[in-house]
Amino acid sequence: MRLRYLIKKELIEMIRQKEMLFLIFVAPVLQIIVLGYVVSTDIRHVPVGIVNLAKGNKAEQIIQRIDQTPLFRVRWVTRQPVDYLSYFKKGTVKSIIIFREALDKKRNLLKYPEVQILMDGVDSNTSLIAAGYFNGIIKNFILNDMGRRGQQLPLQAKVVFRFNPELRSINFMGPGIVGFILTILTIFLTATSLVREKEQQTLDTLLMSRLSALEIYIGKALPSALIGMVDMVIGLFVVVTWFGIPFRGNPLDLALTALVYVTAILSYALLISVFSSTQQQAMFFAWFSLLMFLLLSGFFTPIENIPSFLRILVDINPLRYLMKIIREIFLKGNGITYFWKDLLILSGISVTMVSISLLNFKRFISK
Amino acid sequence: MARIKAIIVKEFFHILRDPRSLIIVFIAPVTMIFILGYAFSFDLNRIDAAVVDFSQSDFSRQLVNRFANNRIFVLHFAGGGTSGGNPLRAAEEMLRKEKIKEIIVIPVDFSRRLTVHGQADFGIIIDASNSNTANLVFQYNEMIVLEFIAEMKKAGQLFKLHTKIYFNPEAKSSFFFIPGQIAAILLMISAMLTSVSISKERETGSIALLFISPLKSYEIIIGKTIPYIIVALLDGVLTLMFSRFWFGIPIHGSLLVLLFFAILYIIAGLSLGILISTTAPTQKAAMLAAQILTMLPSYLLSGFIFPIDSLNPVLQAISYAIPATYFLRIIRGVILKGSELKHFLFEGLMLVLLSAILLLAASRKFSRQRKAVQ
Repeated sequence: MRLRYLIKKELIEMIRQKEMLFLIFVAPVLQIIVLGYVVSTDIRHVPVGIVNLAKGNKAEQIIQRIDQTPLFRVRWVTRQPVDYLSYFKKGTVKSIIIFREALDKKRNLLKYPEVQILMDGVDSNTSLIAAGYFNGIIKNFILNDMGRRGQQLPLQAKVVFRFNPELRSINFMGPGIVGFILTILTIFLTATSLVREKEQQTLDTLLMSRLSALEIYIGKALPSALIGMVDMVIGLFVVVTWFGIPFRGNPLDLALTALVYVTAILSYALLISVFSSTQQQAMFFAWFSLLMFLLLSGFFTPIENIPSFLRILVDINPLRYLMKIIREIFLKGNGITYFWKDLLILSGISVTMVSISLLNFKRFISK
Repeated sequence: MARIKAIIVKEFFHILRDPRSLIIVFIAPVTMIFILGYAFSFDLNRIDAAVVDFSQSDFSRQLVNRFANNRIFVLHFAGGGTSGGNPLRAAEEMLRKEKIKEIIVIPVDFSRRLTVHGQADFGIIIDASNSNTANLVFQYNEMIVLEFIAEMKKAGQLFKLHTKIYFNPEAKSSFFFIPGQIAAILLMISAMLTSVSISKERETGSIALLFISPLKSYEIIIGKTIPYIIVALLDGVLTLMFSRFWFGIPIHGSLLVLLFFAILYIIAGLSLGILISTTAPTQKAAMLAAQILTMLPSYLLSGFIFPIDSLNPVLQAISYAIPATYFLRIIRGVILKGSELKHFLFEGLMLVLLSAILLLAASRKFSRQRKAVQ
């Protein structure tokens, strides 16, 4: 068990410095908490302006409702027509709602004011969702009104939101953040560790020892894997307790997936390590790869929108599979029977990565 | 002037000589715009839905047709009441496997309730694990139900509601993200490269040469920063052309206005870079600090992806101290909305103010360090 000493040395090197301890154990917790608040697609406090040109009190009742929801923040209400475009150009409101007296074809006044919603479409996602909320508010208002008079809409859809009934964006993002933390930590720790020995010329000492290439390889990878897994457990604990995200699946399924994933990432990081000559280069490559993994993983935005010529990059991206599986386990409580295909592909990627990286590592060592 | 020029020339050589910095300067920005332009999109182009029609009546088929005729919906039929097994359970299984995004369930008494009572319900089960997508799916369903009601009532609308979306009629995410990415790239060049360049001189010790030269502190700073202003502007032009001609994002405003604000923004980024480099002891620390202090907040807290209005108050307060917050508003306004100078007086002022504070802090540190060397 010569390997044991190398692993021990690596672990000591990692946790010897106070900064490293901080980076490994405290920073991830902070990152998860801050990211949890930031990385959110919940729409709140959309600034709106209201132009009320209607006479009755119906419009005012609707305005009151809009004002009461946390979704919107009414910046101003006016009874004069305004220059809508200039407000949008300045960007102080994202939406302007106009109420007018509505007439039907026989020139009679209708019961409800005519509503016109103008949206600043630059942030298309926010404006689509906000427009939907407006529709909902106005529809509910009219429904209530009709209900009081014993009338109903002829057709109603009863909607059930499965797996995430409150539509909390953190339930979707939280598990993703755990996957992200696992990635960032293992990739940076491993990518720099071998290069540091190159830079400090301690690598020769290691090479002169009787350790085989495989042993050095494992000795470099295992400690990072260990720390990554510990951090993942910490991360899971934080998202479940701090953000109250339900964990519906089997922890063992997750552990297995994480293990396969970490193997792929570690061997990739060691590959970076082999090819870089300075820590700075290794950091840059690690950073750039991390960005690519992240962008093409479906962490922020759905991968379905990625056009086919980029699809190949998505399909070989290990983080993409982790994201999918971890979210399924968390929210849907799916077992391995549901995601075995993804896990199989991930294992394939992992094996390929390890062989490429080990081969290069051996060539590098024997030089 | 000649002395400043000498530093500028020297600095240019530094950038052009190092292949790695060339990659950062010219290849990384284009790659990022390219990947982001394609990969980053909240758009919902297709909703796969399973139909479980227990009613199998004229009315239910009419309703299903409504969905089928919409170009976004792709329907999968989970079998009617006649086929073996429970179709609803089969559909739920599909939902779990992410084959579909929603299930439309039409109850047995749908048609009878409509004809006899004049009112009927049906069910929609949406996979809400991605809350944002679920929200959009829900909106599309609502729209179709309202259309169906209008058709049934023949009378047209129950109430008049028009929605008009300005500046981005097709509601494409790329309109939002690509100009934002240009802002991020400008910052990357101005803050990151500058901070690394000064720390490099410190690490190799060559900064002592600058310190003991007859150059005044401000001359050193101007000389060291002008090349980065030029490189950043070049990158700005490059990425803007890419966004205009490759991704077809129209430019509605005046380029001169954009240039004016871009210079203010770049100066703010440079000031940040100088401050970081006068504080960070090594290149590595400078790079790390530049990433943590500039790139991350500029991506996450500036409204680049997530709207500032939706952030919690503490993070919202932080966003006011980030130059990118202001420039994002400006660049999106000018490019997409044709906003003018007068619309962004406050934003411009804030950029100047931030630069002044950062520069003041940096130059005090710088002079102190210089004195220490001399």
